[in-house]
Amino acid sequence: MTAVARSWGRLTLAGKILFTVIPILLLLTAGLVLVVVLFGKPIVDFLAANIWLVRFIVAASAVLLMSVPTAFLIIYMEMKVIALMNLRIGPDRVGPFGSLLSVVHGLKVLMKEDFSPTGSDRLVFTLAPVVVYMSAVMSLLVLPFAPGLFGADINIGLLYLFAVGGLTVVGLLMAGWSSFNKYSLLGGLRSAAQVVSYEIPLTLSVVGLLILTGTMSLNQISLNQAGWFTNWYVFQQPLGALIFFIAATAEGNRTPFDLTEADSEIVAGFATEYSGMRFGFFFFAEYVNVFIVSGLFVALFLGGWNAPIAWPEAWAIHLTFDPGSTGMGLLFALLLVPPILILALAAPFYVGRSSLPWWQALIIGFVLFNVLAIVVVGGWAFISLDWVAGLLWFLGKTYLFVFTFVWMRGTLPRVRIDQLMGFAWKWLLPASLLNLFVTALAVIVINPR
Amino acid sequence: MTAAPPHGQREAPSDDPRVQLDQDAGVFEPVPPYPPRTEREAEFYTLGDGEMFINMGPQHPSTHGVLRIVLKLEGEVVVDLDPVLGYLHRGVEKLCENADYHHSIAYLDPLEYISSLFCEWPGVLAFEKLLDVQVPRRAEYIRVLSTELNRILSHSLFMGWMALDLGGLTPILWSFIERDEIAEMLAALTGQRLLYNYLRIGGVNGDINHEFMSRLGDWMSRATNQIENNLGLLNQNEIFVRRMRGLGKLDKETAFRMAVTGPNLRATGVPLDFRRAHPYSVFPELEFDIPTRDEGDCLARYLVRMDEIKQSLRIIDQCIHKMPDGPVMAKLPRLLRPRPGRAYAAVEGPRGQYAAYVVSDGTDQPFRMRIHDPSFVHLQSVGVLMPGHLIADAMAVMASLDPIMGGVDK
Amino acid sequence: MDAALKRRLEARFGDRLTGPVYQRHDETEIRIGPGDVPDVCRALHDEPEFRFRLLADLAGVDTGDVMQVVYHLWGETSPDWLRIVADGLSRDDPRVPSVTFLWQGAEWMEREAYDMFGITFEGNRDLRRIYMPPDYQSFPLRKDFFLPDDAARSPGAGVRHMEQVHAPRNTRTADTIRKVRA
Repeated sequence: MTAVARSWGRLTLAGKILFTVIPILLLLTAGLVLVVVLFGKPIVDFLAANIWLVRFIVAASAVLLMSVPTAFLIIYMEMKVIALMNLRIGPDRVGPFGSLLSVVHGLKVLMKEDFSPTGSDRLVFTLAPVVVYMSAVMSLLVLPFAPGLFGADINIGLLYLFAVGGLTVVGLLMAGWSSFNKYSLLGGLRSAAQVVSYEIPLTLSVVGLLILTGTMSLNQISLNQAGWFTNWYVFQQPLGALIFFIAATAEGNRTPFDLTEADSEIVAGFATEYSGMRFGFFFFAEYVNVFIVSGLFVALFLGGWNAPIAWPEAWAIHLTFDPGSTGMGLLFALLLVPPILILALAAPFYVGRSSLPWWQALIIGFVLFNVLAIVVVGGWAFISLDWVAGLLWFLGKTYLFVFTFVWMRGTLPRVRIDQLMGFAWKWLLPASLLNLFVTALAVIVINPR
Repeated sequence: MTAAPPHGQREAPSDDPRVQLDQDAGVFEPVPPYPPRTEREAEFYTLGDGEMFINMGPQHPSTHGVLRIVLKLEGEVVVDLDPVLGYLHRGVEKLCENADYHHSIAYLDPLEYISSLFCEWPGVLAFEKLLDVQVPRRAEYIRVLSTELNRILSHSLFMGWMALDLGGLTPILWSFIERDEIAEMLAALTGQRLLYNYLRIGGVNGDINHEFMSRLGDWMSRATNQIENNLGLLNQNEIFVRRMRGLGKLDKETAFRMAVTGPNLRATGVPLDFRRAHPYSVFPELEFDIPTRDEGDCLARYLVRMDEIKQSLRIIDQCIHKMPDGPVMAKLPRLLRPRPGRAYAAVEGPRGQYAAYVVSDGTDQPFRMRIHDPSFVHLQSVGVLMPGHLIADAMAVMASLDPIMGGVDK
Repeated sequence: MDAALKRRLEARFGDRLTGPVYQRHDETEIRIGPGDVPDVCRALHDEPEFRFRLLADLAGVDTGDVMQVVYHLWGETSPDWLRIVADGLSRDDPRVPSVTFLWQGAEWMEREAYDMFGITFEGNRDLRRIYMPPDYQSFPLRKDFFLPDDAARSPGAGVRHMEQVHAPRNTRTADTIRKVRA
């Protein structure tokens, strides 16, 4: 016993972790192999028969996994962009240009104590952030990122989005109610009033678009906007797009409509009593929501994944390159091309600057080669794979809108609650109704059935 | 064997406030745990139908320091409020009674850490009146120059805070540039960035130096542009203007009744500026206008302050050009023993009338030093202005009065 | 010094002044009894020959013998500060009528004077402590304020602090406090 204990004591931290993790992994592997050997056939048969189940699990995991990095990226973007607008430097310590600061934030939030205040309703208090986060993640499921790249192509996708997005307010209300704090309560009630009011113009602004498209599937709506950018619905529904943008800002609780967490009035609104990862869920959900409303705007009005210009067929470049067809040549190319290119790229630096040691020149050559390889492979994928190009266009447009949200946060003060409600009911609602009627009229006049 | 009595249950009469304060506080209620002391307190802490208390402060993002306000709300509308002060009380008046006249000036500085020179000035003026000291003209010009710089500093900070309380993040950081440049400038002049301790009885501590003048000249050449640039962030901002207009209206009569002075009074259309109305120092020789507005709302208070920045720039410009040569300190004995008497002096600061009333008993220490701070007076007018507004506006109203808790709590 | 103001004050309040009108630099000072404060202030505030509309300051003063309440007024009719000294308040039970009926803004200043000197302003609707805690019992700016006594009366009495307070060298009793003829 003592010998074991002594040996254990001599191990480093990494060693201890490895010693515990590796046996567990081995056991798991063995178990998995056993399961596959014994029940492999029936499982595979079952999954093959129910391919939708596989698809759903994969999509749900993918969406859950992508939500956190997305939030990290937007948080970093917000910190840095607002810092630059404020003439500050912003994050610059962790990672290149401070880009890992939001990751560190996430870790910090994980490590903080997770307490609930005296008098709070524990169960509801714990469930509230989960509801908010899940509603955000579930919305991601139907966003069409690229041709063929979406969680599920539901034919009532838009309806689903509004329904699930509306769940957020339940979570916020739960948080406000269960915190046993009047600031939280005010924040929760504000969010309820705000989201319920803005839900109406938000939904109505899209109805005009639905008359034009005739479908609620986001995938189909994106497909309808293919071709030149003039096909985008923003040109046929400018008023609808504007209303949607404003209402979406309010739905996402973003400045100038961030009354639910107005720090100068009600401290932090519904999140006043939250700390640790419970707060982290709210925090991430807010930024995932920003991504969702931006993505939704892009999918509905800005052509989704479509490029703004349609290449005439004559100009199209067809790079049909099948790596399998090259046989053994591919292997040789993979072996030979990198060293030769690295040397070729390093040579000018070594020759041109006599003070540079050869190994530094090699490093420069290696980095340059990698950049080149990424550009070449990415370019090839962009040209020959539809979904890569689509994803790039979609993300580019979406982050443009995320930037707009961040920009508004840096520029605008907050509106007052009565101005907010008055704006929704007196201006946005009539405007969205007008948009709806004009669209309907135009459709009837232009192509009567 | 009897268990020890739980904490807070000592043998004491039940009406002793101390005992009731010691109760276990799991849930904090803003209602005081002792019987009401006045009728007003009793009336305030009795809830009507559908009303609730909310305790704002002492730790709250927008109370500008450690101020606690108990708000009585109906929904989100403020019905009544009860500010609770004293979290920052340092007893400056008492300290001054136990310090000699020179020493007292240093105690006046931290009253308002945004505009320290204006806190020093009335004290110094009152001491000079007691002692019948003639201040050299160069010293007077330096005083005017440095205090006007301090006024710009205070007003630019006000602009940022105002926007921050309305949810705008950027203006405060932009206006901090102005503020920091002036702070550096004054640091070159006085040796300190915030608490200058610069004015002396009979003059100032040290003549203007090269670094100060070069910084000042550099800044003056671009100050107008920079300030216009900062104002552009807010003055044409539709949300900002719409929230401020018509908010927290103060009319002339109420303003006089609440003893309001300074920009808050001038925003109601009364051109009362003690630099003109009761001239002191060299202000009669300087040209400047008194900006006023008639509306009396938050926007007017904000705009009056912003106009004052431009007038201060004019004054600074004149000071630089008119500054005479000569000494900066009057000849005075080191130990000051004024004859027994009383003196009152007031100056027009960025927030209003800063005043000091000094009673001397013939020793080297002031017998009584009364400090009048405008923040204190203005803060009490929130009791008139806030009711009927939403919480969000209540904070904006308070910010527009520009109280500094250091001055309120003395 | 505004001689015209002096004449007007003497003509208007001749018998109420408890001392001669005193002028120095830019200040004019009148002394009245505490009972005359509301009438005199109302006259100064309302009558067209005075129109002192701005209450510049309100201060309590403990001269060691008596308590005073000092009002500073400002008006367009005179370039001087007008100082009204409500003199002769007893140190045991200082009482003076409130001026909040004229200047609502005097409320907090009176609360402060109450907090620091224990002067009771009759008619102030909210006369409670403003700076010191509600269970505080001393009046700190009084000349007979003595720190060890205050500590003994405070809710923290008996608590041993990290910093030992050194023994005081002189104790202030009624005959050793600072006094002034103000």
